[in-house]
This record gives sequence, C-alpha cells and structure tokens, in this order.
Amino acid sequence: MDLTFTDEQVMLRDSLGKYLERNYDFETRRAVVAASGGHDPKIWADLAEMGLMALTLPEDRGGLGGSVVDLVAVAEVMGAKLLAEPWLPALPGALALAHGGAGEGGAAALAAFAEGGAPIAFAHEEGRALAEPARVAMTATRKGGELILSGAKRYVVAAEIATHLVVSARVSGAPGARAGIVVALVARDAPGVTLDAYDTVDGRRGANIRFEAVRVPAADVLADEDAGCDLLNAALAPTVLALCADAVGAMGALVKITARYAADRKQFGVPIGSFQALRHRIADMAMAHQKARSTLIVTTAMAEAGACAPRDLRLLKAQVGRMGREVGESAVQVHGGVGMTDELSVGHYFKRLLAMDAIYGAGRLHFRAIGAAA
Amino acid sequence: MNLEMGEALEAFRAEVIAFLDANVTPDLVEAGAKTTSVFAPFEQAMRWQGILAARGWAAPNWPVEHGGAGWSAEQADVFAQECERRGLPPLLPHNLKMIGPLLIDLGTPEQKAKYLPGILSGEDFWCQGYSEPNSGSDLASLRCMAVSDGDDYLITGQKIWTTYAHHANRMFLLVRTSTEGKKQQGITFLLLDSMDLPGLTVKKTIGLDGFPEQCEVFFDAVRVPKANRVGAENDGWSVAKHLLKYERGGGSPGPALRRRLAALREAAARADDGMGGVIADDPAFQERLGMLEADVISVDYHFRHARGGGEPAHDPAYPSMMKTLSSETSQALSAMMIEVAGLEGLPRQLDALAVGANSGPLSDGFDMVAMPYYLNTRAASIYAGSNEIQRDLIARIVIPA
Ligand SMILES: Cc1cc2nc3c(=O)[nH]c(=O)nc-3n(C[C@H](O)[C@H](O)[C@H](O)COP(=O)(O)OP(=O)(O)OC[C@H]3O[C@@H](n4cnc5c(N)ncnc54)[C@H](O)[C@@H]3O)c2cc1C
Repeated sequence: MDLTFTDEQVMLRDSLGKYLERNYDFETRRAVVAASGGHDPKIWADLAEMGLMALTLPEDRGGLGGSVVDLVAVAEVMGAKLLAEPWLPALPGALALAHGGAGEGGAAALAAFAEGGAPIAFAHEEGRALAEPARVAMTATRKGGELILSGAKRYVVAAEIATHLVVSARVSGAPGARAGIVVALVARDAPGVTLDAYDTVDGRRGANIRFEAVRVPAADVLADEDAGCDLLNAALAPTVLALCADAVGAMGALVKITARYAADRKQFGVPIGSFQALRHRIADMAMAHQKARSTLIVTTAMAEAGACAPRDLRLLKAQVGRMGREVGESAVQVHGGVGMTDELSVGHYFKRLLAMDAIYGAGRLHFRAIGAAA
Repeated sequence: MNLEMGEALEAFRAEVIAFLDANVTPDLVEAGAKTTSVFAPFEQAMRWQGILAARGWAAPNWPVEHGGAGWSAEQADVFAQECERRGLPPLLPHNLKMIGPLLIDLGTPEQKAKYLPGILSGEDFWCQGYSEPNSGSDLASLRCMAVSDGDDYLITGQKIWTTYAHHANRMFLLVRTSTEGKKQQGITFLLLDSMDLPGLTVKKTIGLDGFPEQCEVFFDAVRVPKANRVGAENDGWSVAKHLLKYERGGGSPGPALRRRLAALREAAARADDGMGGVIADDPAFQERLGMLEADVISVDYHFRHARGGGEPAHDPAYPSMMKTLSSETSQALSAMMIEVAGLEGLPRQLDALAVGANSGPLSDGFDMVAMPYYLNTRAASIYAGSNEIQRDLIARIVIPA
C-alpha cells in the first residue's frame, strides 16, 4: 500500500502551485472574478499548456489519460490557491463526452477543450442538488432519430463561455428509476436554449438554462436510456473526488492562514493565538482538515483500485462538506471583524466550501442515505 | 407569577392592528423581507421609525417624559408580535437603544434638548465609533487621539467597522485624551454633529454577503466642541460601560427568530429533498428543526424571565448569556436556511435584494435571503463583544475566584 503521490504527481502539483503563486495572487483573482466571472483566457490557456485539460481525458480521446489520483492531486492545489477558472465545473462534461458515444461534433469539442478551448458545461442539476443521477426529471422525447429536450437545468457553471452543454434528461420512467435517462450534447447556441446567467457566491458564473423543444441529432446522443445513468455516474465519480480534493485544499489553506493570523494579531498585548478558546478552535480546524484529507486520500486510492462504491463517495462528499463548513466558520470567527469582509481571502475560501457542499447532493442527503442502509 | 392577558390587552392589540393597517406600506414589508442582517435596509428602517415616532411608539421603553410609550411588558410583546406578523423591518438600534438612552441618563440638559428629538424621530442617524484596527476586543487600548485646542478638541486617528457610517449624519465615539495611567483612564466620549466635518472621511467596506454595511472612518484634525463631550474628560470608559447595559440588554430576539423559523418551516415543506420527497418530511431534519425551535423559545423565555424580574434580572452574567445564546441560535437557524435553500442559495442576487428592485428572485424570496443572511449572521458572534469574550465573562462570574 502506498498512499503518497508519485514523483510525477508531486512535480505537477509543484509546477501548478508555483505557476499560481506567480500569476494568480489574491488581487489578480479578485480582478478576474470582478471583470469576467472568474475566467481569464490567458490563465486558462496556461493551464491547458500544463496539460491540465488533457489530463482529464483518455488517451484515445486525445488526452493524457490521467487517473483519478492525478485529478485529485491537481484539484487540491487549485482549491488551495482559490482558482476560479472553471476547470472543475468543466470536468463532468468533458468526462461524459470522453466516455460517451460522442460523434464528430463531440470529438471536436473535446479536442478543442483539451487544447485550452471552451469548457464543456455540465447541465445536470435541476433543483436543490441531485445527489443521485437517477433522480433526473427533465424530459426528452424521441422523434424520428432525434431527441427533443424540454425543461430546465439549474446552476450550470461556465455555461456562458461554453460552446457545448452536456445535458441529462429522461425519456421514460419516473425520477428515481435508473433506466430511462439519456445524456446528450447540445450546442449552447442551439435554437431553444436560453440562459439566465448570474454571479455565484464563490466567484464563478452560473446559469439556469431553459430548453424549449431543443433538437438533438442521434450523433449527439452520448448515452441512451440503458446507459445514461452509468455514464453520469462515470462522469460524476471522478468529479466528486476532484471537488472534494479542491475543498480539502481550501480547508488546508484556511487552517494555515488562520493559524498565521492568530500568531500575528495581538489584543490585550498578546497574540490572540495565546487564548485557549482560540487555540482549541484552531486545533479543531486542523483536525477537521486532517480528517477530511485522510478520507479523501484513502477514498481516492480505493477509486484508483476500482473499489470505491457509490456509498464511499457519498460519505466522502458529505464529510468534506461538513468539515468544510466547520473550518470556514471557525476561520471567520478567529479573524474577528476583518473575517467578515470580502477583502481577505478567508471569506472567499469559506464561500467556495459552502458552494461545494451544496452541489451534487448536500451533505444531509448523503448522510441520510448512509445512515439508512449499511 | 402573573401574565397579563385578557380584554385590555386584546383592545391594545386591536389598536396596534388598526395603526399598522393604516401605516404599513409595501416598501416597508419588502424591506422586512429583504433584511439579511440585524441591521435592516437603512432608508425603510428610518422611515418606519419616523412613522412610529409620530405615534409615540418608536422608543416604547424610554421614560415617558422623553417619548416612551409607558407600555407593560405584555403590551410590548403584542406590539412586537404584530410587527413581526407583517414582516416589518427591525428599527436600527443605534439611536433608540444606544445613544438615546445614554443621553437621557448622562447627557447635559443642552445635549438632551439638542439631540433627543432627532434621535427619536429618526431625522438623525447616529453611528457608533468605538473599534479601531488594533483595538477590537481590547477596546480600551484605543488610540484615536483628541487634543485640546481652546474650546475644542482636534481628533486624529481611525475608526473601523463603523456600521452604517455611510448613512449616518452623526456619530458618537470614544477617543483618547490621555496616555497616562491605565488604558481605561484617558478615554473620552464625544458626539459629532456631522459626518461632513473637514478632515473626516468615510470609506465603505464590502462584507462577505457583498453589501457595504461597515465603514472605515478617518480623522485628520477634525474639530469638535468640548460641549459635545458626554461625562468628564478621561471618564469616557465609564460612559461607554453605562451604554453597554443598553446595547447588550436590547429587545428580545424571539419574535424575529420565530418569523425566520416559520419561513424555514414553509420553505422545507416546498423543498425537494433530492430523494423524491420534501425536506420537511425527513425525520432527521424534523428532529433538528424541533431542537432549533426549542432553542428559539428558550432564548425568548430567558429574555422574558429577566424582564419579568426573575432570577436572570439579578444575574450579572445575564447580558453575556443573552448575547451568546441569541447569536448562536440565529447562527444555527441561518445554517439550516442555507441547507434548505441548497443550490438555490448559491447565485449572488445583490440587485434583486435591493428594496424596490426591478428584478425578482431567481427562485423565491427564501432562497434569495438564505445565503446572505447566513454569511452576515457569522458576525453575530463577533460584534458587541465576541462570544469568546462573553464566555470568559460568564466563566469569571460562575467559577468561584
Ligand atoms: C457586523 C459588525 C458590525 C460592527 N459594528 C460596529 C460599530 O458600529 N461600531 C464599532 O465601533 N464597532 C463595530 N464592530 C466591531 C466589533 O465590535 C469588533 O469586531 C469586535 O470588538 C471584535 O474586534 P476585532 O474585530 O478587532 O477582533 P479581535 O479582537 O482581533 O478578535 C479576533 C479573535 O480573537 C478573539 N479574542 C480576542 N480577545 C480574546 C480573549 N481575551 N480571549 C479569547 N478570545 C479572544 C475574538 O473572540 C476573535 O475570535 C462591528 C463588527 C462587526 C463584525
């Protein structure tokens, strides 16, 4: 058993970390978020140059065939550096496209993405977070060889800058049934697609998307009703791992920043880190981070070995969300008034953690499912 | 023990209802619905204060000769209940629970005559200039200097976290007039007649929720007459301590928390739980909601117990307990709010949150308010004496020396 990153992975982490340190300090990030919803083409292109987009794709799809461990390795660094570029939001769309039966259009979109082109947005969430892909409700009907999509998706991150959307929909069965879900590739500017875009609390751009009789040619159906649910799971499993890695990276940064602040900030003539109430709180933050990180690392190793069940992923996702909120709340509290402002990175890490807890199934759902059945 | 109920109280309720029917306008209700902080939207909160002041109800707890309403505790409860039922915004505490009562107790006759009418009517708004960048919990270490210059002081230094300074036209503040002796000595309490004085600059700070609520205030030889001093020179610390009694005592958080609790319950009954049902039907959620409600009720009753002359009224730890319990209960409530809002809490809807906005919420009002309220409510355990400081005070009282 080896639960460390390989030398190659360590190198990739280092070079990404160094790149972000040089080119993506907090002020730069703030400017990118304010100007363009967290996406700067130059930074995006640099990430592609480092191979981070290709890393997500299998070799037969023009990718580098990165493993989940690779994804986790880089995502943790992205979280630690508060990267707002939509690498993570683009991940499930790219994976679905790579593993589904994409036609020519899909192959071209994927190739473009791998080289630093537009992200592929993942239009899957519908309401208050789908913990379970089988709960997809948006309808699709078959007409001739085509698929007609009607309904709405919510919280689709990076949809505005994407050329393509990967959309989940249901041709048969009721929400909850695994069968009957299809996955389709849709051009973002296809007739009948309307975006209602907004800023998100964590500095990205999201959109609620309406589909009004959107026609999808057979070639752009990535998975039909027998395979849709599996394809979604195949796209989501590595995504959830990467998302948890990002969150763990953010937590680690918060522990460090907060501990530093407690050592530097003085009140009553002494560092606030000398007050036991804060010492214990910071110790709890450090434990929460370690607990989350160990859960991440072992679950990732299990996934790499093909031994990670959906239940294991749920547990990780829920636990990381819970620990993340705890760490974020404590970081703000230890900082006092200045922790309540948008001027420090602290609040931005905190909001990133909150957003990650809410997407792909809130903790409450996963804990409930775990508690309900062994 | 005795709770006043019955006909007289119901007659009073009818009077309140008739008054609210005649005076509540949609913008006030909208401001109440879009209140994501302990501090309601400024314009509507002050307009509402003006309406209440005209009826003599803006500061019911003040002595009657200064404009108080002379209500019984039960009447005050009825009034609060009826206001919450309509979702009205809370009044801002600065005038009515801080500087007003302080001047009634410690102001000179001239100060009372000059300031109290504007404080009560809401024509003036007073901000509180205590905290400084290096003096937060350790407030007594403050360094904003006031030097004597004939009949005036010249103030130089900085304040921070001054809530609504960008809306205020007046300020009460603590300054250092002496660096000798203990740090608590050498502090003086002053009143500023204007926020447009030469040498004074206000800079807004953007909060986690994306809104400006606190400010930095910079002083460069700002001239203030000595007549604007409350208490003696170098005795400002005891003036400030006197004020604390009002600041921490405050009103009951009960009615506002109950309203948010009811909104949470309704939202949970609508919210898809991601498993084919609604969140309100999840037994685990129900249990937590039940505990939350019990906490809301206990905090409210703790307040009532004290107000009714019971044991907490004589407990020196009561103000700290009340502050800690109520802040943590509202934080727990806010956490359940974002849980129910889920993904729908993630869009940043600053425009739609403004009173009078042209755009509506992306999903519904509950979802729109949940995240900013949650984020803003993190401050409740930081301001007015952090909860760490409060727990220390409580422990000091509870643990024998
Ligand atoms: C929303 C908001 C509104 C505010 N409005 C106003 C206002 O209108 N006017 C005004 O003057 N001020 C205002 N304040 C400032 C507020 O009073 C201070 O933030 C508060 O006193 C804490 O000071 P600080 O922010 O400097 O934190 P610090 O004092 O630096 O505290 C940082 C951390 O250290 C902890 N700590 C400090 N000392 C101890 C100790 N002895 N033992 C254990 N833990 C300790 C604190 O609990 C906190 O967790 C406001 C603050 C906020 C957040």
